[in-house]
Amino acid sequence: MNELMLSAYILVWPAIAALILVMLVVSVIRDYRAAKETGEDMV
Amino acid sequence: MTDAGIYQLSLSTAVLLLLAFYGGTFLMSLAIGRKNENVDGYMTSNSAIGFGFSAASMIATWIWAASFYASATAGYKFGISGPIHYGLWGALMILFIYPFGKRFRQLAPNAHTLAEVIHARHGRSSQMIMAVSNLVGSAISLMVNFTAAGTLVAVLTPLDFIHGVLIAGLGVLSYTLWSGFRASVMTDFAQLVAMILSAVIIIPVIYFQIGGAPALLEQQWRLSDEQFSFFSKTAFLEQGAPFLVAVLAYAIGNQTIAQRLFAVREDLIKPTFITATIGYGAVVIGLGMIGMLALFVGLQPADGNLNNILPQMASTFLPPVLIGFFFILVIGSLSSTADSDLAALSAITMTDLYAKNIARGRPDPRKMLWLGRVTMIVATMVGVIFASLKLDILVMLVFVGALWGAIVFPVIASFYWNRITNRAFTVAVLAALIAFTIARFELLPMTGAVAVFFEVAAAVGGGVVLGLMAFGFLGRTAGLLVGAVAMLVLIPVNLGTLRDYTVLISSLTAYGVSAGVCVALTLRSNERFDFALLAERVTNFHDPASERDDELPAVIGGNAPAASRA
Repeated sequence: MNELMLSAYILVWPAIAALILVMLVVSVIRDYRAAKETGEDMV
Repeated sequence: MTDAGIYQLSLSTAVLLLLAFYGGTFLMSLAIGRKNENVDGYMTSNSAIGFGFSAASMIATWIWAASFYASATAGYKFGISGPIHYGLWGALMILFIYPFGKRFRQLAPNAHTLAEVIHARHGRSSQMIMAVSNLVGSAISLMVNFTAAGTLVAVLTPLDFIHGVLIAGLGVLSYTLWSGFRASVMTDFAQLVAMILSAVIIIPVIYFQIGGAPALLEQQWRLSDEQFSFFSKTAFLEQGAPFLVAVLAYAIGNQTIAQRLFAVREDLIKPTFITATIGYGAVVIGLGMIGMLALFVGLQPADGNLNNILPQMASTFLPPVLIGFFFILVIGSLSSTADSDLAALSAITMTDLYAKNIARGRPDPRKMLWLGRVTMIVATMVGVIFASLKLDILVMLVFVGALWGAIVFPVIASFYWNRITNRAFTVAVLAALIAFTIARFELLPMTGAVAVFFEVAAAVGGGVVLGLMAFGFLGRTAGLLVGAVAMLVLIPVNLGTLRDYTVLISSLTAYGVSAGVCVALTLRSNERFDFALLAERVTNFHDPASERDDELPAVIGGNAPAASRA
């Protein structure tokens, strides 16, 4: 295993986690706006 | 620094962090609190939760403190492939449940617990088997999480173990008690944000502090060939394979997952579960990498305790501020699982013990709600007491695992095959438990015909596991084909070999015997169940007609509507 592969193998997980986080936050913000417009609770 | 060389946060910092964490989550729960909570909302919210909250809650619930410690331990013991063999299979537990979850939800859209749907399908004995397995599982999880809080606080702060247990118990109860599942989902999101942010910062910082890939490759000599291989056989056999066997059992036997399944908007089940799978895997495998890095740098766990790997790595390579992040990461993971356990325990008590059995299908929603809250208080007290006694729960865990394995086939098949009876379900689970006990505790000598019987039963079990997975994603023909081929392949592989692997043979036997007995008894039955009855029998407990506004009592008269009486 070379340096690049080892680095990628270790750092890819926090990168994926960060992407998931962004996706979830964006989705919650959208849901919040929609809930505000319709007057419904999010949970 | 402790004697073991672990950095400790100051008392004031630790207290401030805990206050900020539990105070913040408590304030969040106040924001959604209603004077009169809806009894169904208390268990499954509005059954239309959006993607962000659902997926976040699923990930936060599935990640508990042990996820980090065990993943790091796998990285330390097995090297490069170790974290994968922990995190990947754990993540797949979420993925494999989703096709079945979609079916459960489609058949019983207003369900609160899986045991409730089993009650509607089969009746009391099957329901109680399911409910008891869920209850014991969540109670154990609660206790383990409180124990983890005590251990973390004792290691990273000047406070004692018991302080950590009490703070976590009271903290989690404070924000979950009033609004139940709704508070759990809402706070899960914030907790997950804190957890992922911490993980995303901590992992690269430790990696670069060590010196990155060049420094790691210089120390490659510390790893055996197998530890440096991505395809380690030992890692698969000792870590991956037992997890693979448990994949379906954990997911089916876990009410916290079922509750989220019944709470998410129905068309969002698939994206929610897939995102949760990836999110869980990324966080848990990522933190497992810290254990692998510990192996590269030659870290020796203090007192020989592998649970010290993470705190030691944090102490050695992180500045004090990021040790605070690590502290919040673990507190967040255990709290989000503990609040889900409280919500799960209360839902089972409310629905399966009270509504379906004590009230015999004529429950008073107001009483149900208070029963749910009392359940949370009692469960927290019991969890705190048991955690502080530091009991050995291994035997209990073994039996819960067996029970979960034994119910997998009967539960899943009950929602696809209309001939399965209550008797077939119950007898299959009991027979599987007996067979499991004999194999697990070697009550009979594992030689000759006895050993052959169990090895064949385990081969059937292996076929059942793989067949069910194929069935979930690819349909009946593929499921039957994969199951049959797997059984035929596993029989010669198992014979003469598997008898030496007690844990694996007993777990697979539970699957195999329950499936075999269930199928045999079902084929003798002439019963044909109409699945449309499930939606009629499993309904909301709350009476919408009684809901005038939030300031008035949500339930008038205290009786469930006729339609809600199963």
